[in-house]
Amino acid sequence: MNKGFPEWIRQAWGAGPDFRNTRELIEDLGLHTVCQSARCPNRGQCWRRNTATFMILGDVCTRNCAYCAVRNGPPAPVQPDEPERVAEAVRRMRLKHAVVTSVTRDDLADGGASYFAQTIQAIRHASPGTVVEVLTPDFGGAVDAVSTVLQRVPDVFGHNVETVPRLYPSVRGSAADYARSLEVLKWAANFTPKPIVKSAFMVGHGESRQEVRETLEDLVAAGCVAVCIGQYLRPTPSQREVVEFVPPQQFEEYDEMARALGFEYVAAAPLVRSSYWADRLIAAPFAETPSPAVREV
Amino acid sequence: MRYEVTLPSMGDDSDESAKVSFWLVKEGEIVMEGDDLIELTTDKAAFTVPSPKTGTLVARTVDEDDDIAAGDVICILEV
Repeated sequence: MNKGFPEWIRQAWGAGPDFRNTRELIEDLGLHTVCQSARCPNRGQCWRRNTATFMILGDVCTRNCAYCAVRNGPPAPVQPDEPERVAEAVRRMRLKHAVVTSVTRDDLADGGASYFAQTIQAIRHASPGTVVEVLTPDFGGAVDAVSTVLQRVPDVFGHNVETVPRLYPSVRGSAADYARSLEVLKWAANFTPKPIVKSAFMVGHGESRQEVRETLEDLVAAGCVAVCIGQYLRPTPSQREVVEFVPPQQFEEYDEMARALGFEYVAAAPLVRSSYWADRLIAAPFAETPSPAVREV
Repeated sequence: MRYEVTLPSMGDDSDESAKVSFWLVKEGEIVMEGDDLIELTTDKAAFTVPSPKTGTLVARTVDEDDDIAAGDVICILEV
């Protein structure tokens, strides 16, 4: 255990009836969440707020990134009723904003894109007013797979670059490619109808301020309008060590930097994760204009 | 009435364990429901554990640097 956390790396342990209700609902429906698989420190807070980030396509990833606690190995077959179970959870939880992500499934012909599409559709039917945000893998750069997801009109399309390009080999491994991830984002930003395009990355891996700036510039150039920046936290001793705990003031600098570069939605703070407070980050446009969630699919 | 406060399960797939960093409440002190009782660390972060009830903390059952797991009794309240 690391007893040396700075004071800003502190959250509430999951407790209380609201937390238990969320946990039991997820267990009852046999769902996976990235909250659990990634050992997210915010899940006590999020689950108490009756929200969670659903992880589809199982809980075993075909990639093995050095920062991630999600299990790696040969995945189990996809469960055909998983989209319906996710939708049922969204309905029961009365989520106004649902975030759906997945493990990477390089073993599937379309990388699992069709299951993202089915899940979006199922949520639309079960809970028509819900804003749907997807956070997808790179689908090996297959733009047809990206289009399969986008054709179901997610309100927010997210794909995370995770770190600055220099650190890709050591943080993400050889299976990931920074330029490919930017192409995925660019494809989404040029799609019609255009979703809100979002990305996220961690700091604390040893990147410089200049590298953070350049990554933000790349994301803006790719068409991203929303970005989340948070501190990397090592889930277990098996993952890569934290190089630096970036102080909150530096996150404020990154926040200002991102806004100055043109991002419309920015969340930058030590405990920010890509779907943390996702509903609040993206809430404004849906309060002012009819939600894309009601567009015809 | 004595009430055993246990460390709730976080719903992890794997073992849920943490190390006690320090207590935030002394024996004999009154705590309100929601007040933080104790700070723990896992591999990933530090956490505070809120009191599930209002009452008087009559006994701590874990000490600093103890490794504890979900379901373990951490203290006893008189409620």
